[in-house]
Amino acid sequence: MFITRHRLLALAAVTSALSLILVPAAAAQRVNLAISPSTITFASADPDATPSIVAPPITVTYEVDKNGGGSWDISLLASGDLTAGSATISISNVTWTASPTPRFQAGTLSSTVAQTLASGTANVNKPLDGTVIFRLANSWTYNVGSYSTSVVFTLTAP
Amino acid sequence: MKQTRVLALGIAAVALAATQGLGAATVTSNVTVSATVAATAKLALSSSTVTFANADPDTSPSIAATEGAITITAKGKTSTGGTIALTLLAADDLKSGTDAIAIANVTWTASGTGFAAGTMNKTTAQTVGSWTGSGNRAGTQSYALANSWSYATGNYAVTATYTLTAP
Repeated sequence: MFITRHRLLALAAVTSALSLILVPAAAAQRVNLAISPSTITFASADPDATPSIVAPPITVTYEVDKNGGGSWDISLLASGDLTAGSATISISNVTWTASPTPRFQAGTLSSTVAQTLASGTANVNKPLDGTVIFRLANSWTYNVGSYSTSVVFTLTAP
Repeated sequence: MKQTRVLALGIAAVALAATQGLGAATVTSNVTVSATVAATAKLALSSSTVTFANADPDTSPSIAATEGAITITAKGKTSTGGTIALTLLAADDLKSGTDAIAIANVTWTASGTGFAAGTMNKTTAQTVGSWTGSGNRAGTQSYALANSWSYATGNYAVTATYTLTAP
């Protein structure tokens, strides 16, 4: 609200003389992001028969408006490893593939560095969907338990 | 005139600052990741039979199994700090009709981390291997039969059951 009020004041105070400077101020990006479903679930499986456990697909719906020719990206950052009490499964065992390419890309989850899921330039004027399939590398070394963590999807139009 | 220019520059600075502030748009969405790891055990033996050939007790007081060392792969998922155990229990003595060779005459040596040597028993399951925590363990077991002139001739047989437990 504060910024908007100043912008309006600027527009009111300066008419034709400063119009070229003030036009960009009116173009504020609008970004929307929705993830469905909001859980990624890996079922228990025999590591020999299922070395990679596939979770049901996640749909990422995104929209970038009033971005001009600017870039945008969607990144993923895990809050930590998968944990079940004192037992842990390194989050780097969770990877993903995504489509459509080239906007969406495959990657490996990290809890320290946000990983790029999708990127592009300009506007996405109507909501578009991307599909992400997560996989957990299975192992006999995992201890029994119900593990969980969270992942933050972030859409940024810088 | 001079005064007007100063005013215009000041307003321009405000406008540029507003542009930068509005230029960064971010939205986030949280997703929960869950994984279930259930208790599982899987056992594999390189041979399902152990054969002892006939031999002179004087020259072969201990008869090694014809199959040689049996490779055992014991895989299991258990809780943190849980114990995975592999045991062996014979169904009976070695029998050939009414003749018997006590099963205690069958022993084994073992190799591999967590694997142990032992003697077969038909009443109490004997430990073949024991490990802490989940994992994939491999080792070998080499059987031998204590030979004796007292054994009656015959074709003896018995079954034994391996049990891998991952609680």
